Amino acid sequence: VWLPFPPVSGKDGIFLSLRSGTFSWLRLRAAALAVGLLAGCAGGESAGGAREAGPHGAGGVSAVDDAGRTVSLPRPATRIVSLLPAATETLVALGAGGTLVARTDYDDDPELAGLPSVGGGLTPSLEILASLRPDLVIAWEEAGAARIRPRLEALGIAVFALQTQDTAGILANVARFGHLLGREAAADSLGAEIRGQLAAVSASVPPGERPTVLYLIGIEPPLVAGPRLFIGEVLEAAGGRNAFFDVTAPSPQVSLEEIVRRSPAVVLVPSRDSAAVMARLRGAPGWRELLERGDTRVTVLPPDILHRPGPSIVPAAWLILRAIHPGAIEGM
Amino acid sequence: VTLAGAGTRLLLLGTVVLGALLISVAVGAVRLPIGDVVRAARGFGDPTHVAIVQQLRLPRAVVAALVGAALATSGATFQALLRNPLAEPYILGVSGGAAIGAVGAIVLGWGITAAWAVPAAAFAGALVAIVLVLRLAASVGSALDTRILLLAGVVIGAFFNACILLLLTLTDVESFRSAIFWMMGSFAGSTWRGAGIFAIYFLPGLLLLFGLARSLNLMSIGEETAAHLGVRVERVKLLAYAVASLLTAASVAVAGVIGFVGLVVPHVVRIAWSGDYRFLIPASALLGAAFMTGADAIARVAVAPVELPVGVVTAFVGVPFFLWLLRRRIA
Repeated sequence: VWLPFPPVSGKDGIFLSLRSGTFSWLRLRAAALAVGLLAGCAGGESAGGAREAGPHGAGGVSAVDDAGRTVSLPRPATRIVSLLPAATETLVALGAGGTLVARTDYDDDPELAGLPSVGGGLTPSLEILASLRPDLVIAWEEAGAARIRPRLEALGIAVFALQTQDTAGILANVARFGHLLGREAAADSLGAEIRGQLAAVSASVPPGERPTVLYLIGIEPPLVAGPRLFIGEVLEAAGGRNAFFDVTAPSPQVSLEEIVRRSPAVVLVPSRDSAAVMARLRGAPGWRELLERGDTRVTVLPPDILHRPGPSIVPAAWLILRAIHPGAIEGM
Repeated sequence: VTLAGAGTRLLLLGTVVLGALLISVAVGAVRLPIGDVVRAARGFGDPTHVAIVQQLRLPRAVVAALVGAALATSGATFQALLRNPLAEPYILGVSGGAAIGAVGAIVLGWGITAAWAVPAAAFAGALVAIVLVLRLAASVGSALDTRILLLAGVVIGAFFNACILLLLTLTDVESFRSAIFWMMGSFAGSTWRGAGIFAIYFLPGLLLLFGLARSLNLMSIGEETAAHLGVRVERVKLLAYAVASLLTAASVAVAGVIGFVGLVVPHVVRIAWSGDYRFLIPASALLGAAFMTGADAIARVAVAPVELPVGVVTAFVGVPFFLWLLRRRIA
């Protein structure tokens, strides 16, 4: 309702079923995978080979995390706590939702609602985590001061640290989770599908001018998505030019003056409250002038889908494509 | 206060500390029957319960008690030295110095490679602040003039705060978040190792301040009076400032900045019982320990599994109690 997109029909419709969220797509994927595996693909799983390559001999699995450490498990993980919604989503998409033994307060998948919560993903209750006896915890690698990882490791719990910033990281997570769960075939197929979908988004960009796009993560102070952040990459793939193509930080704070000077053609704002965002921008000096000039179009997008560096990147890419090129026809 | 009366009260406070420690170990985000807790504390039963009780709850309760005691003792000492009821452990810029050390270490990414780097940097920053303030005060007025010290502390503290804001502005979102977590103060990172190191600082410090109690009694009346009565004012001042600041620095290093305890606990002891520093120092230490341990227990269970910043609990519980005590005293 709050998205100014033309109604789409057919196969692409699933990417716009926003009410049910990203998970409709993920569940569809998980179901497809299950069917594929039952149909005999399971035998083709390359998991066995990777397991033997593990340091624990037969059955062991390992992968290198974003802290640069090799995380080894004696056998594929079966009791997992993911402290990151994007990782949770990736696990569900791999058909491994059943291995999750807890959720965080930020996971909104109704299928996880029955699991106990460990609190916030960055400040989980260590007690509850320990009591669930997970064989793998997926946590954010904190910049500056690691508080959670050393404590969990001291308790003998394996921690896989992530710091996913870009599309390559999202795809690497899929592959690495595949190793740690012994689901390489599922990972290969999920990875291929994400790549294929992103290519399909790029293929759907209409020829002609690529408008300048500003992705506004925060309004006051203005935080924008840089080209290195996955959302910045998606923005380019969806046929936009990042208004802040020249920044190095993933999500830098920029001055409003600079935004006005660059006067982007499209401003994408992730928010649940479209009306509030528009009212705020129309009332703010700088933004007001930019909008009154009429060359700038603002589109409000659902943050839950856009801010998860996981398989949601696919629906996010379609959303952004339609926001930048309202007339685009998807050539799947 | 008679000696026997003071002894009885301290014994009572000691029992309260023990009770707070027991409650703190018994409660948590995971509900464990009391029998399991006792078994786990002795190393028996479910290994997960043993890990929760021995590695998470016990060291945390002990560190909270030690930090509460250190802050209350330090606050009582500053109130005597500065002859100012508003004095508290952070008044001379120690917290600002510690924060700049910790935030600097976080921004530079040191805390990733070594878990002890951030507390060590916080302690170093606090020491720099102490030395700067004491040197500044010594170089301006007569050695350690109270007013100059206060001004130097406020100015150095303001400068450090500006430095922290500068660092936070220039850093990335990730380090920003880590730094804010640190500055909110928490006992979540407590380990036995941390408790041990803290105790090494704390126990001699407490004994030293207790040894200075008679001098502090006289100094809280006035420095000249104290000097006439045979107190070696300069030496006592330097020693007391240094020890109280070191206790604060160690507290901030292990748990971040936790307000209210150091300001209010000594006042509660004064209002309820006595302002004699020979009683006030040990009583503040015990009451501070019990208060902080209890506050941390509440912080852990109030909205579990989410933990409240312990500073929120110390203020929410402490302020109404203190106001009630104040009213009762006036009436």
